[in-house]
Amino acid sequence: MYIIGIDVGGTNTDAALIKGDEVVAMAKTPTRHADLFASTSTALEEVLRHCQGQEPLRLHLSTTLSTNLIVEGKGVPTVVVAIPGPGVNLASYQFPFPLIELDGYIDHRGREVSPLDAGEIEELKARIPKDCRALAVVGKFSHRNPSHEQQVATALSQWFSGVISCGHRLAGRANFPRRIVTAYLNSSVAKQQLEFTVMWRRLREQLPVPLEEIVILKADGGTMTLADSEERPVETILSGPAASIMGVQALTSCAKPNYVIVDIGGTTTDLAAVVEGKVLFARDGATIAGNKTLVPALLTRSVGLGGDSELNYDRERGTFHIGPQRAGTPVCLGGEKLTPTDAAVALGMAEIGEKERAVNAWHIWAEGLGLTWQELAQKVIDAFTAQLAEAIEDLYSGLENVPLYTVSEILMPPKVRPEAVVGLGAPAEVFIPRLGGILGLEWEIVPFAAGANAVGAAAARTTLSLTLHADTELGIVTIPELGVREKLASPISFDLHQARQMAEEKLRELAVQAGYSSEQEVYIVEEESFPLVRGFRTVGRIHMIRTQLRPGVRRIRGGGNG
Amino acid sequence: MEAMAENKPSVGLVFFPAFDWAISPTHPERQERLLYTRDQIQEEGLFDHPAIKEFRPRLAEDEEILRTHIFVPSLAKHVTESHRIAAGGTILAADLVVDGLVGRSFALLRPPGHHANRVVHGSRGFCTINNEAIMVDHLRHRLGPDLKVAIVDTDAHHGDGTQDIFYNDPGVLHISLHQDGRTLYPGTGFLSERGGPAAYGQTVNIPLPPGTGDEGMLMAMERVVLPILQDWQPDYIVNAAGQDNHYSDPLTNMNFSAQGYARLTELLAPDIVVLEGGYSIESALPYVNLGLLLALAGLDYSKVQEPTWQRQTVSQSASLTAQVAQICAEVLSLWERRSEADLEEIFGRQDFFERRRHIHYDTDNIYEQQQEYIRLCPSCAGWRVIYTVSNVYPTPSAAVLIPWHVCPQCLKEGESHYQRERENTEFGLVIWHDPRTDSCKV
Repeated sequence: MYIIGIDVGGTNTDAALIKGDEVVAMAKTPTRHADLFASTSTALEEVLRHCQGQEPLRLHLSTTLSTNLIVEGKGVPTVVVAIPGPGVNLASYQFPFPLIELDGYIDHRGREVSPLDAGEIEELKARIPKDCRALAVVGKFSHRNPSHEQQVATALSQWFSGVISCGHRLAGRANFPRRIVTAYLNSSVAKQQLEFTVMWRRLREQLPVPLEEIVILKADGGTMTLADSEERPVETILSGPAASIMGVQALTSCAKPNYVIVDIGGTTTDLAAVVEGKVLFARDGATIAGNKTLVPALLTRSVGLGGDSELNYDRERGTFHIGPQRAGTPVCLGGEKLTPTDAAVALGMAEIGEKERAVNAWHIWAEGLGLTWQELAQKVIDAFTAQLAEAIEDLYSGLENVPLYTVSEILMPPKVRPEAVVGLGAPAEVFIPRLGGILGLEWEIVPFAAGANAVGAAAARTTLSLTLHADTELGIVTIPELGVREKLASPISFDLHQARQMAEEKLRELAVQAGYSSEQEVYIVEEESFPLVRGFRTVGRIHMIRTQLRPGVRRIRGGGNG
Repeated sequence: MEAMAENKPSVGLVFFPAFDWAISPTHPERQERLLYTRDQIQEEGLFDHPAIKEFRPRLAEDEEILRTHIFVPSLAKHVTESHRIAAGGTILAADLVVDGLVGRSFALLRPPGHHANRVVHGSRGFCTINNEAIMVDHLRHRLGPDLKVAIVDTDAHHGDGTQDIFYNDPGVLHISLHQDGRTLYPGTGFLSERGGPAAYGQTVNIPLPPGTGDEGMLMAMERVVLPILQDWQPDYIVNAAGQDNHYSDPLTNMNFSAQGYARLTELLAPDIVVLEGGYSIESALPYVNLGLLLALAGLDYSKVQEPTWQRQTVSQSASLTAQVAQICAEVLSLWERRSEADLEEIFGRQDFFERRRHIHYDTDNIYEQQQEYIRLCPSCAGWRVIYTVSNVYPTPSAAVLIPWHVCPQCLKEGESHYQRERENTEFGLVIWHDPRTDSCKV
């Protein structure tokens, strides 16, 4: 079977055709923001030409549609209906979108402290502006009891014809303000995502080869079906950077369990951390254009350091500071200002553009400083490498400070430090070996560096997760992502083992129902189990289980462009 | 309140709920204690609020703990990893403020510490080592012995351990507001306990009648605590923030609410807050901690309210208010006239002041007997010697303690006394305790 991975990026649209563990073809075409569909089709058609016979084909799409809508604020007008209960004053979050507050109070264990006010719900029709095209309904602790959100959404759907997103369906974890933002963004981009999926469904009929399935890339580096992307379009944000990281994981031959991924571009360098073979996730969720969400996302750190970065020379100290601003096109390619790329080219570390132009420019600058031009250019290479090392140190010291809540974890904190550097991007050849040198780590540059994002998209697998919260004292089990809150059949005997089993079963059911193949293993990402004691007597337990399909990537052979 | 425009977070939060630690399975100090607090803070989005930054606690080192405590028979016998994390987390909270990384800090962690005395034979009042005291001694070790630290203990139980550790320490002001000791553990904390000869008046106790609510507690803050702090001008204010004055607490009889705690925090404006007791883990702690954290960060706490809150539950009678007003007046008057006290009348005209005590360790059921001699020195706080024995460690031990600002004469006398006791075969342990040099040897 063939898989085509397409990553629609800000500058280029990359495509990769893989078969088994081999890359069959790759393509790159400029992204046309005015007609994304056209540039995406161009990239697709280019690699399609390499498909032979009538073998089935899958398409893995990483799009910037939702990301762009959010960054440019071009989603449809959306209103949030919130049920905050007591606590932090909702006004103090200063959300940049209209929000209507309703009475009603659910506590931390999902108990209803005070009910919704039917009159208030009735009044919503008058309070929601006429130009509002989508709604989001979000309650505090709705991940412990979704009933208020469900009641309000049901009432609204009686007369509102646009999309209504409920917080509990999008995130099973705590964080009310993030849940509000997540549901808001989800509603605001849903209409355009639907148009997008309709278009691809139509295209699928027209292709010369049988297209078995189209899946969409997510911020967590996994894929989802077109149907799911219509329900939860917000999960498609930031899939581009995720695709690159998945590409590295697919292509690397690094055997170390812990390594750092360093993607050096023209303007920025993006870092990601792999610990025990798994790429780390952002603690709470993706942040996009300042919006903090609960969307599961790979942890990335972007540093203003790239091949085209500005050079700032401190004459007194005789040292360079590079970035974070962009200088523009390197001199060797006809630009005005010297860049790290020019240093590499002049010193013969890279072959790009006209070496002579770069050398001349270095010569002029160095003369004024009483240095040889080689010395000056070398300082740039060294400063770049040192700043990269600093950024990596900063990332890992932050990771080592991630709060831990048990004595055993504090005594044996997870080992996160990298044992190798895996690089990609055009300037990687120059800087990664040096970076490995000063960090004292093995290093590797992944093959197909220029199209690792498309390979990553092709190599990505389905991700799907859910959260089960069982409170045996109350005799209730809640699975927010499914909208489930029901009585436990026999709460007294419902132990951790049963909770795990139930969570795994429900996820498998969900996977089948959503049309995912059942080949992927279900596993537990996170669990808690607390005895509840009241008046010196154990009265029950709280179990919290998060399960997911084991994420991962298809391994792609790095050698030779097959 | 701290300006939000500042670049650093307003509050450094050292949160350590010790989800895998309990004194015993059904003890109030158990895994579940901060579970709902975690749920509430997480759901309110405060772990990722720009005004609040969370930090991972570290383990306190032996020398940091020994700078404060004297252990019988040894540190290793009593101090577990969980104690080290709570003490280390408290030290970290203080360092964050001193280093200017945050405006204020909150060590929201367990196990607690304010019932742990200078001498430790075991656990009392769920406490083994005194997190605040270890932190204060750390600060003086770091910043010099001239540092002035005020500890305001707002736990419903008298902060007897902290009082014991600093009762003759001129560098520390210890104010404890608590439910009257005649009605609650540990049965101390009366107006008459005012400190040792070198720090007389710097132990301030405000015993409040059972049933005291927000009104009475805030009255004590406004009428007594704030004026005293204003007067004494500490470099740092530490709040030992027990949360068991809450109306729903199962172990006490007070009527304080989450709103009251938040307001108290706003009034006190502490530099470092350290959690102590508080065992209404579902009905109080999530809301009290939320209110406290918001107030500390200068954020709006006006909408924080417990699910069970009702005006009549937390209101206090006029007669009770009058009673509190009377206590406040007495305490303030004692403070204002502290320098008029005749120390010779109180502590005698001998070379030494002698104090004998029986100490009960309720958690471990240990009885300790202590005899202490403080050198009445005109130039410094005076060296002292403590003789201690308990039913679990029946061989008597002796400890010679040197104050932070010791005069040459006291140092010499202390040293020679230490040598003398070392030759005395009656003692199991003879301990030398000098916080200035970290030479706490056995």
